[in-house]
Amino acid sequence: MPLRAILQHDLRNLCESRIVRLWLAATALLTAAIVLTNWAETPSAPLVAMLLFPFLVFPWFLVVMLLGVNPTSGARAETLADGFLCRPVTRLECLLGTWVARLLAVGGVYLVVTAPAVAVVVLADRPPTDDGVTLYGIVAALGVVGLVLALQVSLGVLVGILLRRSLLAVAVLLLTWFPVNLVLHTFSLEQYSPITLSQRLPALLQQPWRAEPEADTATGEDMEALAQQAAQFLSVLSGAPPQPAKEPGFFDRAAIDDFSLRYVVLGYGIPTLLSIGLAAVCFHMRDF
Amino acid sequence: MRTSDVPPAIRTEHLTKIYRNRLIAVNDMSLLVPEGSVFGLLGPNGAGKTTTLRLIMGLQRPTAGRVAVQGMPCGPNAVAVRRLIGYLPTHPSFPGNLRPIEYLDLVGKLCRLSAQQRRPRIASLVRAVGLLGLTDQRIENLSTGETTRLGIAASLVGDPPLLIWDEPTAGLDPAARRFTLDLIRELGKSRTVVVATHILGDIDRICDHVGVMHAGRMVFSGPVQDMKRRLRPDDFCLELEGSGENVRRLAEQAGDLEGVGVRLSDQRTLAVAVRDGRPRAAVLAEVLQLVEPNRLALQSVHSGRNETEHAYLQLLQEDEAHGFQRFDIPSRRGDDAAAGDPSA
Repeated sequence: MPLRAILQHDLRNLCESRIVRLWLAATALLTAAIVLTNWAETPSAPLVAMLLFPFLVFPWFLVVMLLGVNPTSGARAETLADGFLCRPVTRLECLLGTWVARLLAVGGVYLVVTAPAVAVVVLADRPPTDDGVTLYGIVAALGVVGLVLALQVSLGVLVGILLRRSLLAVAVLLLTWFPVNLVLHTFSLEQYSPITLSQRLPALLQQPWRAEPEADTATGEDMEALAQQAAQFLSVLSGAPPQPAKEPGFFDRAAIDDFSLRYVVLGYGIPTLLSIGLAAVCFHMRDF
Repeated sequence: MRTSDVPPAIRTEHLTKIYRNRLIAVNDMSLLVPEGSVFGLLGPNGAGKTTTLRLIMGLQRPTAGRVAVQGMPCGPNAVAVRRLIGYLPTHPSFPGNLRPIEYLDLVGKLCRLSAQQRRPRIASLVRAVGLLGLTDQRIENLSTGETTRLGIAASLVGDPPLLIWDEPTAGLDPAARRFTLDLIRELGKSRTVVVATHILGDIDRICDHVGVMHAGRMVFSGPVQDMKRRLRPDDFCLELEGSGENVRRLAEQAGDLEGVGVRLSDQRTLAVAVRDGRPRAAVLAEVLQLVEPNRLALQSVHSGRNETEHAYLQLLQEDEAHGFQRFDIPSRRGDDAAAGDPSA
């Protein structure tokens, strides 16, 4: 019962919080802008991948990690201790309650905005030719991105517990999330990189039910369109002119040919579980 | 079950808390809180009272030593122990977006009470702490006193046999303070209550046992009367009405009495010290007989200083004066009771 009580209480707090409401509004606006600007030109698979890009790479990971960091660091942690931990509640129940509440809040915002947008993009009669987006592909893509969000929340909780200071924890996460792509490249693990994942999403969206993904399922046009749209998106955010087409290199197609949904799920799922497990151990050891 | 078989409500043995090898908050503290007592944990700011309570709650881990509540060891996951405890932190901070009943319901769920148990209890608690007219207000709109009353109600939701309240009268106006003290006295009839405070008047009014902390150490633990008994028998004060000349004459006459020392605290207050083992009542009667002949009116008679305050300050002074002798005092002096050793 305490776990459910903490979960309900925290979820209610999150729903009433300004940061979540602003994030919901901003996500809805950005999604609408992406759909409207690409409505007549971009095929369904790259357009859906573009809708998911902000959750994978930038800017929403900041908000997600901030939500993860908040309850376990700073003054909030003291309140947590006085409010919950002085009652007959185990620390694991307390941590799991706040973690699951954050997962639900983040997942809720993500699905409330993206699921209808994806449905509209796929089902609407649009000028671009049908590029064969499957229901399985949509569910798998949404699920994988959801898993990345779960990892972000879990990392936020873990780093918040370890560092105790919200701002420091967010700064550390910020400095970790982008360079991790380079680290993965160094160890030839590009398929676990969020950027690679975002590039691979069009192929995943076109994948049929229970079929093993073909290395070259994505068409060259899809990949090119997504790469261009991603560059355009980043250039709009940064105010810089769009980058010219790059020579094949870090994130070229060859690097993602070995993309496997199963490995990617494990690649994000195991760190998520490890993060929350380690967070539980650290939370158990903690003095309030 | 014999009385000796009943475990103490709280027992700490050599409890020590050192923060990051820099600050000694609690220093080798042994404490015994008898079952059914109203125990005042007294000490100046920074003495280690709150840290001690948090160690008892299992919110912090002791660097050394151990804590047991009703014979059960405490720790971060000691759910069974915390079911026995109703905790009120200093300046409690509650979720401001909730209303009092919603918050108490949340606490009831955390205490693993079913809805059938929670609802009638919450209704009676809201009424008992006087929040009945504020149930539609958000907690963020409640005053300090109302928030404290809500915290008191929250600590009672699980109907625990042990209450640990950390400075429950801090920041309260006189009416709210009186309400809280009366409530503690009432609750103390059926439960063990531990109240941490630095307000001596509160201890005098509600506690039957007291522990005095100074710089992380327990310098005294025992019945309040024992603490007062440690005082030197000294003076009482007479507040008089009349001319200053007459008061001075009365002081001279009283000073001539056997075993009496007199001094004027101010123009209207006479401080009388009892000496040579004379009974205080006899000395008082003799001095009072001199009042009317000197054309003075008696306004009040009281102890020269607040006894508890005096005893408390004396304990702190003694502790300061011990200097290096404070190292391992109980084992060297065998003065276990004075140091609050539970084996005493």
